[in-house]
Parts: sequence; structure tokens; C-alpha cells
Amino acid sequence: MTGTRPRPRTGPSAARGGLATRRTVLRGLGGLAVAGASVGVLPLFGQNGAQQDPAECAAPDRSGDDRLVVVSNWPGYIDPRRDEGNTRDLFEERTGVTVRYTDDINDNAEFYGKVRNQLGSCEPVGRDLMMLTDWMAARMISLGWTQPLDRKAVPNLHANLIEPLRGVAWDPDLQFHAPWQTGLTGVAYNAAKTGEIGSFSELLDNPDLAGRVTLLSEMRDTMAFALKVVGADPEDFTQDQWGDAIDRLRKAVSDGQVRAFTGNEYLQDLAAGNIVACEAWSGDIIQLQFENPDIKFVAPEEGLALWSDNMLVPNGAEHQANAEAWIDHFYDPAVAARLAAWVNYICPVEGAREEMEKLDPSLVDNDLIFPDAEMLAQTFAFMPLDDRQAMAYERDWSDVTGG
Amino acid sequence: MTSTAGVAPPLEAAPLPPDTGRRRGRTGYLLLLPGLLWLVLFFVVPFYSLVATSLYDPAGSDFRGYEMTWAVGNYVDALGEYWRPLLRSLWYGAIATLFCLVLGYVLAYAIAFKAGRWKNLMLVLVVAPFFTSFLVRTLSWKLILADDGWVVGTLQFLQVLGDDGRLLATPVAVVAGLTYNFLPFMVLPLYASLDKIDPRLVEASSDLYAHPAVGFFKVTWPLSLPGVVSGTLLTFIPASGDYINAELLGSPNQRMVGGVIQSLFTDANDYPAAAALSMVLMMLIVVMVLVYVRRAGTEDLL
Amino acid sequence: MSQVAETPTSPEHPPAAAHGDHAAYDGLRLRDVTKEFPGGFTAVRSLDLDVPRGSFFALLGPSGCGKTTTLRMVAGLETPTSGSITLAGQDITYAKPYRRPVNTVFQSYALFPHLDIFENVAFGLRRRKTKDVDAKVREMLELVELTSQARKRPAQLSGGQQQRVALARALINNPEVLLLDEPLGALDLKLRRSMQIEVKRIQVEVGRTFVHVTHDQEEAMTMADTVAVMNGGVIEQMGAPAELYENPRSTFVANFLGQSNLIEGRVLRRAADVTTVEMHGIEVSVPSPRVHTDADAGWVGIRPEKVLVGRPGEELDAPGNTIPGGVVSDVSFVGVSTQYLVRMPWGQELQVFSQNTGRTHMFTQGESVELSWRPEYAFLLDRSQDADAGAAERVGG
Repeated sequence: MTGTRPRPRTGPSAARGGLATRRTVLRGLGGLAVAGASVGVLPLFGQNGAQQDPAECAAPDRSGDDRLVVVSNWPGYIDPRRDEGNTRDLFEERTGVTVRYTDDINDNAEFYGKVRNQLGSCEPVGRDLMMLTDWMAARMISLGWTQPLDRKAVPNLHANLIEPLRGVAWDPDLQFHAPWQTGLTGVAYNAAKTGEIGSFSELLDNPDLAGRVTLLSEMRDTMAFALKVVGADPEDFTQDQWGDAIDRLRKAVSDGQVRAFTGNEYLQDLAAGNIVACEAWSGDIIQLQFENPDIKFVAPEEGLALWSDNMLVPNGAEHQANAEAWIDHFYDPAVAARLAAWVNYICPVEGAREEMEKLDPSLVDNDLIFPDAEMLAQTFAFMPLDDRQAMAYERDWSDVTGG
Repeated sequence: MTSTAGVAPPLEAAPLPPDTGRRRGRTGYLLLLPGLLWLVLFFVVPFYSLVATSLYDPAGSDFRGYEMTWAVGNYVDALGEYWRPLLRSLWYGAIATLFCLVLGYVLAYAIAFKAGRWKNLMLVLVVAPFFTSFLVRTLSWKLILADDGWVVGTLQFLQVLGDDGRLLATPVAVVAGLTYNFLPFMVLPLYASLDKIDPRLVEASSDLYAHPAVGFFKVTWPLSLPGVVSGTLLTFIPASGDYINAELLGSPNQRMVGGVIQSLFTDANDYPAAAALSMVLMMLIVVMVLVYVRRAGTEDLL
Repeated sequence: MSQVAETPTSPEHPPAAAHGDHAAYDGLRLRDVTKEFPGGFTAVRSLDLDVPRGSFFALLGPSGCGKTTTLRMVAGLETPTSGSITLAGQDITYAKPYRRPVNTVFQSYALFPHLDIFENVAFGLRRRKTKDVDAKVREMLELVELTSQARKRPAQLSGGQQQRVALARALINNPEVLLLDEPLGALDLKLRRSMQIEVKRIQVEVGRTFVHVTHDQEEAMTMADTVAVMNGGVIEQMGAPAELYENPRSTFVANFLGQSNLIEGRVLRRAADVTTVEMHGIEVSVPSPRVHTDADAGWVGIRPEKVLVGRPGEELDAPGNTIPGGVVSDVSFVGVSTQYLVRMPWGQELQVFSQNTGRTHMFTQGESVELSWRPEYAFLLDRSQDADAGAAERVGG
């Protein structure tokens, strides 16, 4: 691209002139050739649509003779193997299926980028189960990248899933997904550094908090609240309302009110005192509270956002039956209680609360693990978006968070 | 040739002189082949793919697929929307490079001329930060500059910072992080080029009535220009494309173009805009480098 | 160990003056200068030196003898540990190098590679903000015959041309003293010979004081008015080249400056003008000014070309010292002369250079010969000195 410049002083100046022009001409011709070739080649780099038919992308199930299940999950989202009677060992004992477990999901979008090329072209990703948040699960299901579950193989799921999580718009009959854990998004603050915080809008405009606030970096997490702040319903809003919400947020960012948009990192900043309040996930805060009782999680006036991370079986999975056995295992209330006692997120399994009585009575009345119906009634989710909408909104979002 | 030498008749084993030349030429090209292949596979193809992506129909999506429709408008859109982080990246990169140059020059000069037998140890120390991960090093700056940390405390005590002043989430922290992280890229080429300078040249300038300061600017500095040029390039290019420092030490108001490209690519899945922005950044840097190298007039010295 | 102080009668070198007289001396004067390096190595010991204004002075010695350190102290690139340096009456011992009216032609030149020839030469003038830089540089380039190369970079010139640039770059500043640090060391022999003449010509033309450091005794003798032979941080002997050669005062000088035959002897009688020495049973005489020892034992020295060789009993035109009983053990014919090694009765081999004038007989190996020399060519050195000192460090023949 840069080309080599002719070296100076390569000969008498008279000869240099001739040489230079000839070289210029040659270089010009070369440039034209490259340009011409590029015009021909570039269109070949187009991409086909990534939507697939799950039926065509199913792999023969080898569960019978290959007793293995490959699971991808978020870090710290299951009780550790060193614990006596942990849920994974229990699963292996019960079913004889070996678990190969990796915590390689750190971010929905990033994970999407990781599997996009394979799943988009009907190739296996070497996993039997992956845990993705609602909107990403919805997107993958609509792209046809996941396998339908055999209803008969997961009776516990259909019997025990708590009511508020049933009938989601993107998979009303639990055909493709099973919630792994559920959480609430709300507001957390450090009571030692600031007074009580009652609403999300305070995060955006309380001058006492200026520069000491973080929000979550996933668009749906934060924009659901921003929409609430401008009086819109995140489950059903108009383009104008979206615009208002984005402007509201943009103002907070350009005023220097918001220090950062983060993933889990807000935990360190909150603990270190670099921030005094933030948008937060319930389970994280419960764990942080064990170390620092000054940290409080509150349901702001705007309400709480309810979300789930869901188990999905990707196309090309070779051990679907084993994966279904895994799902069913974790919908056994006793197993679910044991898991909830460790991860501290909302347990999506009916009957786990009763099991928890035997396990750890102190957690039974924690409404961030077993919320009551009244609390769940005021939660909200984010409207399903089609791909064009999602892209346009994400672009607005990165425009704001990109300063 | 050696493998067949035992079997082949002697006539073949001793090629005629004109043949030798041609064969040597062919061997040269054969030896070039792996490198060329590597270049095509890992540079040319991805580069074309990036160019094509930047010209995709912006109406495309993962559902529909993407068509290369020469959508030059992507560039206009990307520039229109993201010129701020773009300029900010170049600006932060330039300031960090300047700081690196000043700090790095002093350090490299000390190592080259004053370190004596400590030279190797000091060079190892310059490189030592590379033994830990980039991310960990940047995160530790977060601890150093924390709002309740001693650095901020001291600056507040000295009234350099206001009582609720802070360093994290300000351009100061981002530039400090960039400076720290890319300093070795500046020191090493500077050292290489300072170490080559014959100390007698400095003596000669002194002998010829140059005050040490004048001697430095008339002799040492121009002779170290190749190191200055390669050091500033090695610092500026990655620093202006970096987004980790801005992400971890800055706030959204300090976001750099690398971060924007990353989030356009992974979060928004807006590949055309991400690719167009990458191309703009790349072209800007290439142009700046070309102008810079020519202006510095270091072609003969390089 | 002050050399000058030891020879108060030496005509060119007046006795060490008292401190008050330094201001009157218009040349370069070093007094009691010592340089110790941090490692404990003493490069120069208590050195006294007077370089008259306008002279071409050579510091000659093997590597490590302290000559370059001496030069660097004059240039200001090293600071003496003790002692003083004055130049034209000014004390410059601790003056910064860029404040001294002294310029240096560095070993391997140290030309600025990033500047062209013109700017290299103009460097000193520009630093001093002199007027008419252009004209002065042109004039200087003319003097060293490099006008056509003015816009080239040093790397594009040959070694000899670079040498002349270095000279021009220093000379243009019109220094009180020009220091030359092995300036010809990097050149090949032929070029070196012509540059020696060239540099000498320039010195005569500009009439400045040149102090030239070299380890090449032939170069020193060709170029300099005065040569100081340095060894182990002190000056062994100083004087005009011919005087040094003809009347060396130490075995080091005798061997380092050309070759010498040194034969063990014992002083029999000391008369006013002649000292008689017994040498393996043969009596030889040495003129008293050429006797450089007070002891009874000594080395009788004689240059190989001063020794005449003849058949036993042959009448030679060298009345005086005749040593019979030699046998030719080696003959080398080198064109202008024939070099013999002659084994003497006491086992020592002496060197004899015989000019091929055509009138002398050529001896062959194994022939018996008689050696003789004129008494005025012989010299007597201290027996306690090493007879081989300086021989190994000598450059060339």
C-alpha cells in the first residue's frame, strides 16, 4: 500500500528523471490492476443470511453410547465441585453421564460473536447446553440455532417452573428454553457514603452522586429503566419514547453523572468506594453484602427488571438426551435449592423454598432468592426486538455510551 | 539435489553456468513462497474482507445476510456519528506518545550512557511489565488512582485536586494508563538508537565549542531520530487504537474509537459501521505515518 | 619522575619555571599532572611538559602509555587528578572543553554522520556565532582540497578525505593548540605516508601548535619537531627526532625508536670526554655525553646500521672499537641493504645493516667476521633497565 519510495542518489540526475517517470507509470499500472482486481473480488465477500432450520441442523443423538454432556455457563454460576454433595456430582451419580463444564460465557454479545459463524452455517459448536439471557436466547431461537426439547424428557421443567416465568413471548411453550437462574436488576448503593436512594432517576440527576454512578453496559438492562424514567413501558414503547429515554441518558452521560457502563466490574468499584451507587444485579449484591453490610440493594420507584439466563441446546449438539436429563435434574426442587443456596439468585423452581428449609433456613425468607408474588408483580422485562430494531437501538446505545 | 547426487550421472550433478543463475532465481522465489502465502492468508484476505464489510448494504443483518453493495455511505455515517471518539483517540494517543517520548528518552539515555554495568538489568526491568497481562496492569492502575487512594489523597492535600476531585474516569487517568502501558515500546527503539551513538561524537561537539545542551540538540538528538521516529510510531499506533485504558480508567466521555468499534461489532452487530470506522482509523494512521516519516526526514538514517 | 627537571641542561627545554613564570610562557605547559582512574589505574604520573608555541610536537608511545589520556586532559575531556595545565599563560586545568581554545582531531575522526562536510567544518564557527562562516569554510575546504565534496555526507568519503575533513573541522577554529589523536591510524600505509607530509605542510602553513599522539615512531619522527617518548605514564625522553634516535637515554627509547644492539659491559675508566667500557673482554670507548649511567655496569648500545662488518683482520675505516670472533648466522638481503645476524663469542647475536653500496663484500652464512664501529656512535645505558624494553611494542621495522 505504501510502496517503496525510490532511493535518492541512485545515479546521475539525468538518468534519474527517466527512471522515475518509467517507475511512476509502472506503479500507476500496478495500482490500476490492484484496483480492478479488488472491484472483482470484493463482492465475493458478501454473507448469506444466518437463519437456519433446526430440523436440518440436528445431529444424530449419541447420548446412548457416549455418556457425556458439554455445558457452557457464566463464571461462578454453579456450586463448586469441592462441596460435598454438589449438584454436578449428584447428576453424575444419578444418570451416569459425565459432565464437561466450562465457564466460558462472559457476555451475551461476545458469546454470540464466538458461535455466530458456526451456528450461522449449520455447523456444530461442540456444546450440548449454553446459558444465555432472555433477549439473546430469543434471538438464537428465532435464528433457528437451537434444538427443540423433548417434552417427555423434561417433566420437572413443565411441572416446577414458577409461574411468572411461564409464557414468555419468544417461547411460550418452553419448547426451546429452560430458565437456569433468574435475577432482578435494581439499584445498589453504599449506605456508608450516601443517604438512601429510592429511584433510578436519582442515579441520573442527583448532583451528590455526580461521577460516582455506574450503569450496566447491556442495552436492555439500562434502557428498560431509562424508559421507565421517561414514563414509558419497556415492554411496549414507541420510537418517540425510545428517543426521549436515550436523550435523558445522553444528558446524564455528558454531564459527567455516569462514570462508566460496566459488566460485573461495578462490584469492585462499589466495594472500593470509587462509586457510591449503581445499577446492579440482585445476586451479586447479596454476595457482596456478606462482606460489606453497608451495601444495600433496593427496588427503585421505577420497579425491578426481571430476567433469566436460559439453558439452550444448540444445533448440532450430539448429546441432546443427556442435556435434557441435566435440565430435568436441575428442576428437581432439592437440587434447585442446593444451587440457589450457593448462587443467591432467584430460584425458578417451585418447591425449592420448602427444600431450602432443610438446607439453610436463613435464606428462606430472603426475598431476593424467593421473591413473593407481590414483588414479582411489579417487575418488568424488555420488549422483544426484531433484528433491525435491535441494531438501530444498539447503535443509539453505543452512540450514547461511546461519549 | 543432494539426495539424487548418488544416483544421478555426474553430468546432471554439475549444472551449466547459465542454469545456475536461473535455478538460484527460482530457489529465491520458492523460499519467498511461505512468507507470501502467510501474507495472503493472514493479511490480504482479512484486509479485503474488512474492506468488503465496510461496504456492505447497511440494511443487512445476520437474519438476511449481507450484500456488498459499495455502500460508501457507511463511511459518511460512521464519521458523522463517531468523529468525536475518533479525534479523541488521536488526541489521547498523541499526548501519551509525547509523554512516553519525554520519559522514555530520559530513561533510554540513562540506560545507554550512564547505566554502566547495570545496563542489562535496567533493560530487563523495562521489559518486565510484559511478564504480566496488559489487563492486570491496567486494573492495578485503577487501584493506584482510586478515589480513596493515596495518590488522590496526596494531590488533594496539596490542593492540586479539589476536595471531591478525582483522577479515575478523567482524561488524566486514561492518558496516564496509555503512557504507562506503551512506554516500553518507546524506550526500546530509543535505546537501540542511542546506544549506537559514538560517545566521541558528543566529545567532538564539546570540543567544537558546543555547550552540552547545544551538543545534545545538534548531535545526540538528530542521531537518535531513527529511534524517536520508530518509537513514536510504535507508541502512537497502538495507543490511539487502544480501548482497554479508556474503558477501565475513563468514563464514557473518554471513550476511544477502539471501544466504539468493539461495541459496534460485538454489541450492536453493526458490522458495516464497525468496519468503516476501522478503515477510517487505519487510513488516518497510515497517512499520518507517511507524512510524519517524510517530514522527519529520517529516510537516510533509517 | 619529572623528565624536564632531570635534564636542566637540555637546550630546547628550559628548566621548570617557578609558578610565577607560567603567565609568561606562551606555549602549552603541563606541571606535575597526574591522572588516576576510578579502578586505581594511574594513566599519567606527575607529568611535566612544555610545548613551545608554533611547534609540531609528538607524544609517542605504545598503547596504554598515557599519551591519549594526556591529550584528553589538554582537550578538557578528562580532568587531571592533580597538577595544572596552562595555555598561553591561562590556567585551563579545569576549564570546560567548550571553553578552551583547543581543538581535536579524533581517532577515527568522529565526524558528525548526519551533517554534510560543509556543516561538519562549520560546526565550531556556528557554535561561536562567527561571521562569514561561508567564506571561512570554503577557504578551509580549499586548504584541505575538499571543495567539491562540500555537500556530501562523511560516509560517502574515503578514509583519507574523512581525515582531511576532521583536520579542517578542527583547524577552522584557529585553535591555540591542535590536538591530533592517532589521526592517521585508520589509513593504509601508503595513504598514511602521504598524509604525514600533508599534515606537516598544513602545520607549516598555518603556523599553529600541533600536538600529535601516535604509537608509530616513524610517523612521529617524520612529522614532529619535538618528540616525547612516553612509557608507563611518564616521559622517558624528549627531544628532536634525530637526537632521540642517535642518543637514546634508556633501553626503552633505544628499542622503541628503531633497533639497537645492547651488549653487557663494565665501566673501566671515566675521563672528561671518553668513558672506557670493558665488554666481554674487549675494551670499547663511549663519548661521555652519551653515557647515561653512573653505575659500573651498563649496556653498550649501537645501532645496527652503524656497525661495520669485515673479514677478520681486514682494515676498516672505523678506528676504535673492533670486536673480533663473530660468525654470520643469518643473512637477509632486502635490496637497499643486507641484514646480518652475527653470533659473537659470548653467544649473543648482533644485528648489522650493511648498505648495498656495491663496494662491500657480501658475506654468507657461517663465515667468520669482525665487527667494528666508530666510538662516537655508541651509547651507554643503565644496566638495571630491561634490554628488551620497548622492542615488542615497536611498530614496523
